[in-house]
This record gives sequence, C-alpha cells and structure tokens, in this order.
Amino acid sequence: MPLPLYGFMEGDTIGLLIVADEQESVRSLADKLRDAASLRVDGSGSMEVVYRGIVIDPDSTLAQAEFKPLQRFDLRGNHGLSESRYSR
Amino acid sequence: MLNREDWLPLARKLDWEFSYTTEQEVFPQVISGHPWLPHSSWQDWEEAFKTSYREYVQNQHEKDMAVYAVRDAVGRLENVQSLATPWINGLKIHAAALPLAEFTGTIGNLRGARFGRDSAWRAMACFGALDEFRHTQIPLLLMHELVRWNPQFDWAHKFYHTNNWFAIAARHFFDELTLGQNAIEFHIATNVILETGFTNLQFVGLASLAHEAGDYLFEKMVTSIQTDEARHAQIGHPVLALVMKHDPEYAQYLVDKWFWRNWHLFSILTGVSMDYLTAADQRSGSFKEFMEEWIVDQFFRTLDEFGLKKPWYWDIFLDELEIYHHMIYASAYTYRSTLWFDFVMPSPNDRKWLRQKYPKYWDDIDAVWERIGERWKAVGPGADEESSVLGTALPTFCDLCQLPLSAGTPRNNTANVLALEGKDYIFCSQPCRWIFLREPERYANHKDLVKRVLTGEAPADFTALLTDYFRLTPDTWGKDVYAGDYDWL
Repeated sequence: MPLPLYGFMEGDTIGLLIVADEQESVRSLADKLRDAASLRVDGSGSMEVVYRGIVIDPDSTLAQAEFKPLQRFDLRGNHGLSESRYSR
Repeated sequence: MLNREDWLPLARKLDWEFSYTTEQEVFPQVISGHPWLPHSSWQDWEEAFKTSYREYVQNQHEKDMAVYAVRDAVGRLENVQSLATPWINGLKIHAAALPLAEFTGTIGNLRGARFGRDSAWRAMACFGALDEFRHTQIPLLLMHELVRWNPQFDWAHKFYHTNNWFAIAARHFFDELTLGQNAIEFHIATNVILETGFTNLQFVGLASLAHEAGDYLFEKMVTSIQTDEARHAQIGHPVLALVMKHDPEYAQYLVDKWFWRNWHLFSILTGVSMDYLTAADQRSGSFKEFMEEWIVDQFFRTLDEFGLKKPWYWDIFLDELEIYHHMIYASAYTYRSTLWFDFVMPSPNDRKWLRQKYPKYWDDIDAVWERIGERWKAVGPGADEESSVLGTALPTFCDLCQLPLSAGTPRNNTANVLALEGKDYIFCSQPCRWIFLREPERYANHKDLVKRVLTGEAPADFTALLTDYFRLTPDTWGKDVYAGDYDWL
C-alpha cells in the first residue's frame, strides 16, 4: 500500500511529500528524500532516519517500522550517536 | 442652512430603539460578533476623523487625480520597463496579492456597515468599503496597461481565481479575515492588526524602497492607499477597547491569532520583495529592520494602549524574524515554476549583506544557495536548463496558514503532526497548531494542496498541476530572471 509521508532532510528549507510502498525499506525511503532534496542539500555522508523520535533500522520495511500515512520522518546527519546509520 | 457641526453629529449618531423586533435579531451575535452587548454599551463608540460624505468624496477625488497625474507623468510602459528586472518581479507579487484582497476588504467593511453596533461605526465602515473598492480599482487599472507587455501581470486579476498554492494560502487568510468574518473580529483583525500594523510594511516601507528603485507610480499608488487605511483603521481601536473591557481573554486571543496569521503572509509578500527583489544599493534597510521599526514598536504601543500581554509565542516570532522568509525564498526559488513571477539568485554581495543583517542563521541558508549555485554551474546557464534547477517532489503545506512547511531552521524544521478525530493534520509551527486547536470547527475541513492531490482533487502529475490547477503556462510560470547566467557563477 502506498504511504504518503512528510519528509524533512536536515539542512533543507522545506518539507517534501515522499510516497513509498509499505514494503519498501527505510533505506529506500531515505534515498527518495535525499534525491528530492539534493538541489538544496548535500546528502552525501552518513545519515539516519528518525521517525517518532526513534532512529530506525534502514534495513527494516516501512511496515515493520510501523510507518503510518501523513506522518513526519526526518533524515539527519549521523553524529555518531546511533548504530542505525548508513551511507549511500 | 445648518453648519457642519450642527448636523454632522446627529447624522453620525443616528441610532434608535426597535419596536417591532429585537436588538438581538437586528444584530445577531453570529454576524455582529462576540461579545454581544446592548447598544447602550456601544453608544459612546467614537473615532477622530468624523468625516462627512461630501468631504469624503471630495478628498477621494483629489487623491485619485493625484494618482492619475503621476501615472500620466511616469507611469508609461517605458517607465516600468526601465526599472530593474528583479524589482519588476516584486511588483508582480504585489500586483497579484493586492487588488482582490482589497475587494474582500470591501465586503468585510460592508458587514461592519450593516452589523456594526453603533451608527458612527457603521458610517465609517461604509467609507471603509468605498476605500477598499478604490484600492481594488487603482492597481487593476495601473497594472492592466502592463499585461500586453508581460502576461505575468495578468495575475493582478487572475491570482485569486486560481488554485495556485500561494493563492490557496492567501484565500484561506482573506476568507477568514474579511469574507466570512463577523463585524467585531473583522474590525479588530483588519483595522488594529493588519492596517495599523502590517500594511505599514507595504505602504510605508515598500513605498520608500519603490522611491529608491525609481518606481514612482508604485510609490504614489501605495501612499495614496495608505491615507485611506489610516482613516478607516480607526474603527478597530474603539471596538477592541470595548471587547477588552468585557472579555479580555477573547481580545487577547484575537490579537495573538491575527498577529501570527498576518506575520506569515506578510513575511512572504514583503520580506521577499525587500531582501531579494530590491537591488542591494536601493535597500534602505532589511525586512527585519522594517519589521522592528514599523510593526514591533507599533504592536507594543497597541498592547500598552489596551493592557494586552505580549503573545505567548513572542520568542518564536522573534526567531522567525531572523529566518522564515529566507527559508521560503530559497524553497520557492527551487519551485519557481509554481509561481507567476520570476526569481533571482542572491549574488555574493547580496549574501554578504544578508549575513550582516541576519547573522543568526545565515550560514545554514547560505549553504542552500551554494548548493543551488553548484547545480547551475554543473548544467550551465540557459532557459533549456531551467528544469534541471527545479525541485521535483511535491512541496508540503501547513494545515493552518497553507504556506510551505518552511518554519524553524534548516537544522530543525518545526513542522508537527496532530491527530484529531480520526484525521491527521500537519502544522508548520506551534502557533499555527494553537490557532487551529482553538477553532478546529473553522479550519478542519479545509484541504491543503497535498491532501487535494492525494484525494484526486488536484492532479498528481507536476506539469498538469502547474497548468490545469495553478493555471500557469510556459509563458507565465516563474523562471530565473537570468536563466542562471550570473557572472559570479
């Protein structure tokens, strides 16, 4: 099922609508936001997805991570505080 | 023949008791406003101008003649064409946002002219309605000449008839402020907050920049309008005074709500024009400095005058003053094809100036411009490359102000989600969320652009969204003024 989500990339000036499938990985969701914001923000480097205040395992699916439609998620630079970081 | 002072007080203060109906039926609370008080409470309502209709018509005629004289002298097409291109695009913003918004003010004032609670209030509101009609006609007349030259000026009339995202936001604002508002809230929100405060940005601050930019027609137009505003804005103060006396919590709420709603709209309308679309050597001050001088100081005087407190969100407002319109402009530049005017990238000199004026967060905004500049460098300048320097994902919008989710800072966007009665809403900021929660029945059924797309009401295809829903065309949608061809790139 498609999930419309509000994505916020650290360093960006605006939130973006990112539509993903609930069977998609969190990593894939992050890549979509990274691409969508790339005109304004350099997304290279280690990042982490934060949803409802929790850093999410990038290999889990959106369904496993219990993403719901029209919720906010963030893609933030990893500052060495979490094990769930990844680089593209 | 009676002298003016013999007949005017009687004509202005002509109220009577009803014999075959009740005062509540003549002035129902739903349209006259809260608190509902008998006329005996309002009978001392007064304002300083005490204008007669004859004087009104004579004054307005003279003001119109002065505007026409300036138009005849310096308002020809070649005069406008000689202005700096970025300024002309700032003019397109105001040409679109102003006239029909003023027309909604006509309707709001007519509501006051019928449902205001004292005859002197109603007489003044009648003049206010005529004023606002004048403020509709003058910019439409002056901009009409420019349509043949540049079709983006057609948005002077077209803007509010489209579903352009900024038109949705502006309609949401003016529908509530003027078209669908009761007389008390209309006059407090419009006269005390908008006209005593925020329109100073347009009519005083922007007028001075227009002078510096050599746009004497715009300067004359808005200063002429301001003389009307200064008069009819006097309606709101005695209304607020009485509401403050009988329900101070409600008075505080109205002031807090409308200061915030005005702030977001005007930071875009005026902030962008002042800090980005006015040439650096023609700026006499930053938008923030104008805000501090013309709005914040004035607002504090209003608060003191009525015994009101500073809004609870004051620290949030002060922080937004540093960055909000910069967040919006950088975002809008990358979505310029969604708007009806053209954009310019801030040059290194502009950015140096902006850093001096907005030191708190400029580094984060500057990084965004650096990145956009890198994209232009990578693809090269030219109209064919415009699309490579545009965002592709759908931007998102606040369920209260309907403006982009661009509040907070690039490091910490303050958008927040609310679940209410089975629906999810998102707000750009805590004050927008607070306003929504005070009156959810007023706001909950309005769909922002994202929800219109998700429900199929608006096209999901981006190009179709621009052409079919926003009513833009390749000729009129916004572009980079220089198509990326900047010496400094």
